[in-house]
Amino acid sequence: MSDFVTFILAIISAMLIDNVVLSRFYGICPFLGVSKKVKSSLGMGIAVVFVILVATCVCWPLYTYILEPAGIPFMDTVAYILVIASLVQLVGLFIKKYSPSLYKSLGIYLPLITTNCAVLGVVQTNTDTGLRFIDALANGLGTSIGFLVIIVVFSCIRTRLESANTPKAFKGLPIALITAAIMAIALMGLQGLFAGI
Amino acid sequence: MTQTEYLIVAIIILVVLAVTFIVSFVLYKRTPKPKGCEDIEISEEKCAGCNNESCAFYKEKDSIEVLKNKKEEK
Amino acid sequence: MKREKGQTKKNFLKGIIQENPLLVSILGTCPALATTKSLEAAIGMGILFTIVLLCSNVLVSLLRKLIPDEIRTPAYIVIIATFVTMVKMFANAFLPELYSTLGVFISLIVVNCIVLGRAEAYASKNTVFDSFIDGLGMGVGYTMALCIMAFFRELIGTGGFTFGQIFTFIPYTALIIPGAENFKISVFQNPAGAFIVFGLILAVMAFYKNRKAEMKAWEIKQAKLKAAEDAKKKLEAQKANVGGQQ
Repeated sequence: MSDFVTFILAIISAMLIDNVVLSRFYGICPFLGVSKKVKSSLGMGIAVVFVILVATCVCWPLYTYILEPAGIPFMDTVAYILVIASLVQLVGLFIKKYSPSLYKSLGIYLPLITTNCAVLGVVQTNTDTGLRFIDALANGLGTSIGFLVIIVVFSCIRTRLESANTPKAFKGLPIALITAAIMAIALMGLQGLFAGI
Repeated sequence: MTQTEYLIVAIIILVVLAVTFIVSFVLYKRTPKPKGCEDIEISEEKCAGCNNESCAFYKEKDSIEVLKNKKEEK
Repeated sequence: MKREKGQTKKNFLKGIIQENPLLVSILGTCPALATTKSLEAAIGMGILFTIVLLCSNVLVSLLRKLIPDEIRTPAYIVIIATFVTMVKMFANAFLPELYSTLGVFISLIVVNCIVLGRAEAYASKNTVFDSFIDGLGMGVGYTMALCIMAFFRELIGTGGFTFGQIFTFIPYTALIIPGAENFKISVFQNPAGAFIVFGLILAVMAFYKNRKAEMKAWEIKQAKLKAAEDAKKKLEAQKANVGGQQ
């Protein structure tokens, strides 16, 4: 199988079969918190895609070419959180200073991403499982697009849930979690999609 | 390069990262919000997903109900 | 400053009941959903989390006068990341099964909102002893919440409990309810089950909270009605009195 086909398959598998929120449980906080409106969930999702891609591109070489030869691979978590946090702050600073329109749609979600497990989780699994750079990139791309798709779909459902007649005890978070469970069951049906290939 | 040299480079990079983080954090805080976005965080963009009071997006859960109650009292 | 009697106990208990980080504040949901497949994994995660929270709370409150206000958050993140690395290496060395079961979620304690939240909201303003007790209470409360979730997930998903697979120093024991293998619902071991269990627990919490509020409102209403009735009776009695005199 050519590298290109593996790349595409890895993206789809990270996006749907092993979905970041519904089967790997990264980034539940923004998934539940910023999904009340389609507009804000779209902004959050795009910001996450951007940060995950850049963080993967920085952290993988940092680990492979510097931390591992130096004999301190155990410092990976500290290095990654520093990279992610300074990346988020730098991009936020740039947007805040030069682009009010971008700040309006993305900038306000950027500070939230530092404490989003999805970014650190993806970067950490990339090096923990010893992926090649191209596979790490595919994992990052698939994961982040999976996050974007799921959070937008979920926010669409939630806007309708607001007006639904749910029992009083289930109002708010509980019914949202049950909805997420049903979405997870739906995605479970895709397991074994690439078993034959 | 020997391992000691690698180690020195790694430590320098970690320190640089930490300094970048702190400097950009402070600069981000000091930069004023662009025009037209001053009141954006107060209005509707805050979330009540969790009760993390230290989060920049924290909004009190029942603030809407509290406002309603206040109105009724008046 | 004079300490009130029983303040320490109150401080400890608030993390378990009134301000439970998972069930009341809805923080740290990611590890709560991912590591509650079995009771043992939940206990292990809770212990590692508590160690990190205790260490970071103590160090942050020790340094609370040294760290400038403006760079508080970056300093806390670095402190927490250091402790997480230490706990990770500890787990890798002494509890390799736990390390491989929890996987990346040990590293993800860094971005857990509870640790950073407690450091900013409590440890940066209070004494070392208070912060220690606060961290202990929050850690125990989180561990107990994880155990509640894992209890239901493992019981319904596998029909019983198995011990000794992760903590290898205790002998392997499997407490399976006889005949339960035929009735287990394996979806509770899957990701979907985690969402269902967490949603139902939150719904039960909301139900009791609503009922408590309703009871209180009812009591207030009753008290008001009674007061009104009393006032009416008094008035009538007065009238009768006045009438009698005339």
